[in-house]
Amino acid sequence: MSGTSDVNAELERLRTEALAVLSAAGTLAELAGAKSQHLGRRSDLAEHQRRLGQLDEEERRRLGAALNQLRAELSAAEGERRRQLEGERDAEVLAAEALDVTLPPRTPSRGSLHPIHETMEAMVSAFVALGYESVTGPEVESDWFNFEALNIPADHPARSLWDTIYLEELAGEAGPTLLRTHTSPVQARTMLERPPPVYVVVPGRTFRQDTPDATHLPVFHQLEGLAVDIDLSFAHLRGTLAEFCRTMLGPETRIRLRPDYFPFTEPSCEVDAFHRGEWIELLGAGMVHPNVLRNVGYDPDRVQGFAFGMGIDRFATLRHGLDDMRVLAANDVRFLSVFV
Amino acid sequence: MRVPLSWLHEFVDPGLEPEALADVLTNGGLEVEAILRPTAGTRGVVVAEVRSVQRLEGSERLQLVEAFDGQRAQEVVCGAANYVAGDRVAWAQPGAVLPDGLEIGRKQLFGVTSNGMLASMRELALGDDHAGIWVLEPDAPVGAALDEWLDLDDVVLDVKVNPDRGYANAVLGVARDVAALTGAELRTPDEPPPTEGDPGVPVSIADPERCPRFDARSLADVTVRPSPAWLQRRLAAAGMRPRSNVVDATNYTMLELGNPIHAYDRALLAGPRIEVRTARAGETLLTLDGVERGLDPDDLLICDDDGPIALAGVMGGASTEINDGTRDVLLEVANFSAGTVLRSARRHKLFTEGSTRWEKMVPPETAPLAAARCAVLISELTGGQVTGVADHYPAPRTRPTIRLSPRRARSLLGLELGDEEQAALLEALDCAVTLADGRLDVVPPPWRPDLEQAADLCEELARLHGYEAVPERLPATGRAGRRSAEDDARNGVRRALAGGGWTEVVVQPFIAVDDLEAMGWDPEDPRRAPIALRNPLSRAESVLRTSLLPGLLRTLRYNANRGSADLRLFEVGRVFRRPTEAEPGAPGGPGGTVLPAEPQMLGLAACGQFEPARHDRPSRPADLYDLLGAFDLGRRVLGRTPFEVVPIASAPYHPGRAAQLILDGRSLGTVGELHPRLVTQLGLPERTLAGELRLDWLVAGGAAVARGFAPSALPALRFDVAVLVDDDVPAAAVERAVRGAVADRLTACELFDVYTGPSVGEHRRSLAYRIVLDDPVRQLEAADEAAAIAAIERRVEEEVGGRLRR
Repeated sequence: MSGTSDVNAELERLRTEALAVLSAAGTLAELAGAKSQHLGRRSDLAEHQRRLGQLDEEERRRLGAALNQLRAELSAAEGERRRQLEGERDAEVLAAEALDVTLPPRTPSRGSLHPIHETMEAMVSAFVALGYESVTGPEVESDWFNFEALNIPADHPARSLWDTIYLEELAGEAGPTLLRTHTSPVQARTMLERPPPVYVVVPGRTFRQDTPDATHLPVFHQLEGLAVDIDLSFAHLRGTLAEFCRTMLGPETRIRLRPDYFPFTEPSCEVDAFHRGEWIELLGAGMVHPNVLRNVGYDPDRVQGFAFGMGIDRFATLRHGLDDMRVLAANDVRFLSVFV
Repeated sequence: MRVPLSWLHEFVDPGLEPEALADVLTNGGLEVEAILRPTAGTRGVVVAEVRSVQRLEGSERLQLVEAFDGQRAQEVVCGAANYVAGDRVAWAQPGAVLPDGLEIGRKQLFGVTSNGMLASMRELALGDDHAGIWVLEPDAPVGAALDEWLDLDDVVLDVKVNPDRGYANAVLGVARDVAALTGAELRTPDEPPPTEGDPGVPVSIADPERCPRFDARSLADVTVRPSPAWLQRRLAAAGMRPRSNVVDATNYTMLELGNPIHAYDRALLAGPRIEVRTARAGETLLTLDGVERGLDPDDLLICDDDGPIALAGVMGGASTEINDGTRDVLLEVANFSAGTVLRSARRHKLFTEGSTRWEKMVPPETAPLAAARCAVLISELTGGQVTGVADHYPAPRTRPTIRLSPRRARSLLGLELGDEEQAALLEALDCAVTLADGRLDVVPPPWRPDLEQAADLCEELARLHGYEAVPERLPATGRAGRRSAEDDARNGVRRALAGGGWTEVVVQPFIAVDDLEAMGWDPEDPRRAPIALRNPLSRAESVLRTSLLPGLLRTLRYNANRGSADLRLFEVGRVFRRPTEAEPGAPGGPGGTVLPAEPQMLGLAACGQFEPARHDRPSRPADLYDLLGAFDLGRRVLGRTPFEVVPIASAPYHPGRAAQLILDGRSLGTVGELHPRLVTQLGLPERTLAGELRLDWLVAGGAAVARGFAPSALPALRFDVAVLVDDDVPAAAVERAVRGAVADRLTACELFDVYTGPSVGEHRRSLAYRIVLDDPVRQLEAADEAAAIAAIERRVEEEVGGRLRR
């Protein structure tokens, strides 16, 4: 048996050789081979450890410690090299799996909502936020609801303001039926159904015998509003519509009122809004005519209120920057698909 | 109403520029729709005398005229020949500019030089007349510049006259508002001295309600000829065509004061005698426009002994028309009720300057002044004499006093207007106002028949004070706003469908009867009995839709024809059906009018690829299950129990590819692939699919709010079973059996495979389900799985004659 210095030289040789082989391993397989060779059961290191038992106590303790230290050092070197090689391998595999992130995404197939209905909902929401309830009424109306109740008797010149589409007579019918020319009949329907106070808006489809052009459709949509209470005034009308316009058209929007005429309101006004640098005619409004209140059994000496009506299609053109309303009625999906 | 400012200024001049005056009127209730300068721009046109006229040598129709402008005479070639030497004409000299911007120069024609042109009224924007050149009256000042002589720079305000502001259909009426709005002084027209004598034409009024007043005036020895240039210009500026001095005088007076006037050739009146009455059966009248009109018993007429001579308030008759030979004139300055004239005008589709004034109420008090001023004007223009007057006004009306509470006015307007301030504003309108005991007693002037009650006075207060003074306030509604549960539910369905790839359309509800016939429904089907429109927009839109399908299919085809091949359309809308006991329409009001039922439907139409091809995925054509899925999505967001899906073989569908959807025992609608014959017939893309269901029934009561639960903490039992059945057993029946067998623990049962092939035998198929069972308190084990499979096996055997595939 050789002396201590021989053993030390032998361990140093093992160490140098093993570290060189481990660090030279170019692949994980080579590394595994190197590991087996220098750290495995049949390695020189393992052989030395097996032989420790033949040594005396002191020698065994000393050499054992040295061998353990060497094993730890080589394992650490193997581990480091392995992580390095695994990192290289992973990088290679992941690089091979790279996707072209600019390919079209798989967006869930989505349709669209019609801008008229969406504008309608936005307008209704603005009034719901102001405390109004949304109600509806029939599209086919009686002469009474569309005209008479609203202070427009048969010989009234204002009837020519509306080019009415009439229906053939239905069996058992009394009085002509027509396609409502405005959503205003729902004012009368609502007041007949419930006592004041009333705060309602009425979205819906309306009809006129009209040739379509850039600003008119024969089938169009209106939002009607009615507020009847103890002491509502023209100032409340103005405040309500101003607030509505600020919701729809932006917080800086200003409105102005001009006298106008509607048979069912007195005083009546036309409301303009200052929008994108110009005054635009927006809607008609006024204080509910006492005759209308009487016609539905309200007492004009005890309650008063205001009403307004506006074109939803008109708001849709403003909202979406359209200069021709007819595109709203054409249902061309190339246009509609924008409104996802 | 077109108001020339030069005319308006005769009554009031607030010293405002036209634009500023237009703003005052618009903000005061008379909207100025346009500021016109119809004759402006004329330069270099002079009044000339025709020295001589001769045919231009070498031309068939051109005349060579020697025109003299007071300094020099030059040759002008002219196409018209309605003048003689000595006439005064409008000579557009070289360098002249006409209102349309045309610049006049020199021209060579047949070897002579034409120095400008002689102008017609139309070329000068003074009227429609282009039959010849404009021959001026003999005393027109030769050499005068036409624009200065005729005040051609005059500005015309085009005022919109609302139905309640009939008084503004007259220059004087507009002037009254200008005075009230600006405080400028009003100069009312002079009242001519009274006329003596009787016109010698008795007038009887059969219906004083419809004709409250009839002022008849006679004139003798008139000479009918064109009006002087100033009068022609004013009529033209106001938008009326000059005709003859007599007729022009009636129109001029109407434009000035608002009372329409008709002139008859007295010598052509049978009798002469006038009766105002309604038409008798079979009567006709040849009106001035040359139309022979059958009369309605409701038409009010002016008649002589031979019958109708005018349709009251609308148009005169041809038989008594003023003509070149007229010497004696009878003026009718009557008053007709608005309704009478409006009904006749509508019935005969004849809306005239007169009828549009009557329909907005002309007060009877205007007649005598209008009659007197018109008679004087005719006398001045024609050299005739006024020979008699008879003013028939059997029941003079009195204006009622309107009581106005100033406090109420403040409350209604939201304006702090003091009692006296209110009185002063109303007095500016010439109302007689008494302020006593905290209230105003107001008698409006006769020309304001529209002022009937306190609310009308409030509007006057607001507009005179200025609408801009009204402050902004918000009402305290005292409650939260809301939509109905149904609205919310419907919007939930719309959003779900859009999220699921469907495009919302809004289709007009008009279709043709043919569209419904094409659907092939049973003749007894209520959808085959649409309600027709009396005045449809077009023949193809002559009835109200009873179904969304025709409109949706039209929209589909419209888009397909424009290159959009893959379409998924949905519509939420009403259809119109004749009312029944089970489904009546909305109440029609006090008259008992019956209204149609208006069911609200959800309609679908699709064609092409439901999933278009991508770089990483092939395309997949739309099929029945996409439409069933869309309806099912709507159902799910509303929290309804699943539809029962039943196969149907009925129009308009492919007999093997259509279904009915049943919920709570009620059929909500149908869906399917369209019958190939219908697809061909309608020119639709092949394999077009469609369906519609009762959305109103589906959303009734609003969406159900989902109930939550705590998922089991124990692992679920998951296993697959494959059921082998005859291939005519509906999948729904198999699934019902499978679910029924393990109902108490079932959390999912999903059909993941349908297999047919040799291994399962002919006319058989295998349906494979993925089952998930859950128990809240006990861990499920292999024995539980075996028991569940055994239960399923028994159940499918009993219910659908199937067995499990091992």
